[in-house]
Amino acid sequence: MPTLTYLEAIRQGIWEEMERDPTVFCIGEDIGIYGGAFKVTDGFIDRFGPERVIDTPIAESAIVGAAFGASLTGMRPVAEFQFMDFIGCAFNQITNMVAKAHYRWGAPAPLVIRGPSGGNVHGGPFHSQNPEMYFVHTPGLKVVCPATAYDAKGLIKASIRDNNPVIFFEHKYLYRRIKEDVPDDDYIVPLGKARVARSGRDLSIITYAAMVHVALEAAEMLSKEGIELEVVDLRTVSPLDREAIAETVRRTNKVIILHEHVRTGGIAGEISAIINEEAFDSLDGPIVRLTALDSPVPFSPPQEEFFLPKPNDVVREARKLAAY
Amino acid sequence: MPKKPKARSHSNHRASRASRPTTPASSSQRTYTILDYRLERPRIELRQVRDGDTVRYEVSGDLSAPVPPIRESKYLGKQQCIEIYRWMLLNRKMEAALENLYKQGKVVGGVYFGLGQEGCSCASAYALEPDEWLGPLIRNQGSLLVRGFSPRDIMMQYMARAGSPTKGRDASSHFGDIQKRNVVAPISTLGDLIPVLAGVALGARLQGKNIAVMTYIGDGGQSTGVTYEGLNFAAVQNLGLVLFVENNLWGYSTPADMQFLIEDLAERAIAYGIPGVIVDGTDPCQVYDAAHEACERARRGEGPTLIEAKMMRMKGHAIHDAAEYVPKPLFEYWKKRDPIARFENFLVNVKKWLTPAEHEKLLAGVDAQLEADREFAVASPMPTPESAAGGTYCEEGCHEVKPKYGVPTVKSRKAPATLRAESAVHLK
Repeated sequence: MPTLTYLEAIRQGIWEEMERDPTVFCIGEDIGIYGGAFKVTDGFIDRFGPERVIDTPIAESAIVGAAFGASLTGMRPVAEFQFMDFIGCAFNQITNMVAKAHYRWGAPAPLVIRGPSGGNVHGGPFHSQNPEMYFVHTPGLKVVCPATAYDAKGLIKASIRDNNPVIFFEHKYLYRRIKEDVPDDDYIVPLGKARVARSGRDLSIITYAAMVHVALEAAEMLSKEGIELEVVDLRTVSPLDREAIAETVRRTNKVIILHEHVRTGGIAGEISAIINEEAFDSLDGPIVRLTALDSPVPFSPPQEEFFLPKPNDVVREARKLAAY
Repeated sequence: MPKKPKARSHSNHRASRASRPTTPASSSQRTYTILDYRLERPRIELRQVRDGDTVRYEVSGDLSAPVPPIRESKYLGKQQCIEIYRWMLLNRKMEAALENLYKQGKVVGGVYFGLGQEGCSCASAYALEPDEWLGPLIRNQGSLLVRGFSPRDIMMQYMARAGSPTKGRDASSHFGDIQKRNVVAPISTLGDLIPVLAGVALGARLQGKNIAVMTYIGDGGQSTGVTYEGLNFAAVQNLGLVLFVENNLWGYSTPADMQFLIEDLAERAIAYGIPGVIVDGTDPCQVYDAAHEACERARRGEGPTLIEAKMMRMKGHAIHDAAEYVPKPLFEYWKKRDPIARFENFLVNVKKWLTPAEHEKLLAGVDAQLEADREFAVASPMPTPESAAGGTYCEEGCHEVKPKYGVPTVKSRKAPATLRAESAVHLK
């Protein structure tokens, strides 16, 4: 089984789908000869030609609008955003034109909007954001945030095959840091299904994307102290896997919710509410939130480190919660 | 023989792919061509004036200019002209019926009118083939009729009935059909249809067919950024977009002069590197001819065209708006240029393509159709409250997604999956 980085796994997933299905095509800025700002589509134009690997003007609304229009004719566009921070430029197309199409007039929109998000690479306020919550709050969209190379390939393939608009957030910190065995064959990871990344009896941590690795690192440290952390990787942030959330709480009775985006209006609030509705009787302690600060993402490394949740923060909160 | 449309020249603009410069007057000047189909150039000025403590608009200029005739079409024959005329009548009379339904309290929300713009809506949409696509604005209810929706569909939309095309979920002209009529449902914000229609043409091209796709923008809506993004995208991708810029002089209560400084919005085409055309939006023959030529260009794979249609919105923004900000003489000027009255005169008196008896019969047929549709729509039920839920997502088995014009042919290339040096990656 070949070893692939997270980025290579995404590339392989899109490549395989383009080989498999002639209606799949890529559209975005600098994705052709240059291969994309992060080289996700490197080599695609040589294989699939400029017809199916389309370089566009710097026009995010046009990219999404054109992808949607093409999807109405039965195509399956994969639109790249150079940075997910720039998704605000296409906000209206995504939330009003695309997301409401099926509800309003029965038009499926089988398109994927994908691109790099996330911090810890010292990208500053406009190259580090995690803007997924705007879209989690918009019915009609699916929001996918893989944490591993295996999932990244399986989820991008599932997203391309889905008949709904999917926003696929690739964590740029993971692009080249995560490496694992990824099957060469055609497999998908279904949308809307969480996974248990590590089993543990004492308390649960619910998280996704780069924070899964923060949680796993903390779990190693805590294990040495005899605290066994269960790490749940959501994989899809919309729709949420309510059952997996409730199940882990029923197993461990204590829960930390960890996310890289800002605290207020974050997914932790929603997950807390789900736990309240589905597993209130199973709780033996307060629900703990670990999140980024309520501020823009700062640029300077010591500031960014302070801004982001770290393994030590998880360890500290887990100790407190375990003792509760 | 119809006269050749006049071409106007503009200087000091950069060379473009589609509007090739003609011989420059001097080496430092470049000239471009904007095709102008009009038989008159209104010379009217609108000014904002302070009158004591109030601010209002005032109009001046040649308000008594004679009404131009309908320009004979290069392409339309008798039957086609009569068909377009019937669509225009259906458009206007349907809106009159909607106004009555509103007064009877049967409409939920407001009513939007295309009064004075029926010729533009109907004759433009008439230029499309059935397998081509259209994205209407709120006032292009006539375009929707031409694409095959019925007055009862639109009436049920306004009355929020279960049988409306959106099953009560959206109002007015906010509906579409990807199966048969190939209409993209508009959203309320303006300009957003432009990249979407461009994308429809892109999808068709990937499936091996160059089609014409048509949408509209107003003098107000063209101020939005997405208008630029969408049209520029269509231009660089050479997609068969036909963009009608319906310059009806008012964006809600704001006059066109406060949206842009240039005299003719068709000139914008020069900067996109695409052809620009001006038509009298109250003359369906001019509208059709320009639309037809733009569609033919699209089908030949030659890219987009911008057509500015000049006319006036003859009511307020919606039914609640009495448009008191519009100077009365401006209404009077454009009322004399009513598209339906002039087209009727053209068909009955000038061409004698309709005898008075045939005309009466046509009118009666439209009335009968509208009455039947009105009765149907009024008798149709409201949706159940529970029908608000569901359908937000396309679930398994609810729609089959398949290429509309044929499976794209994929050219086989041998290039393997590569992974080039990654040293130059932005942010690691």
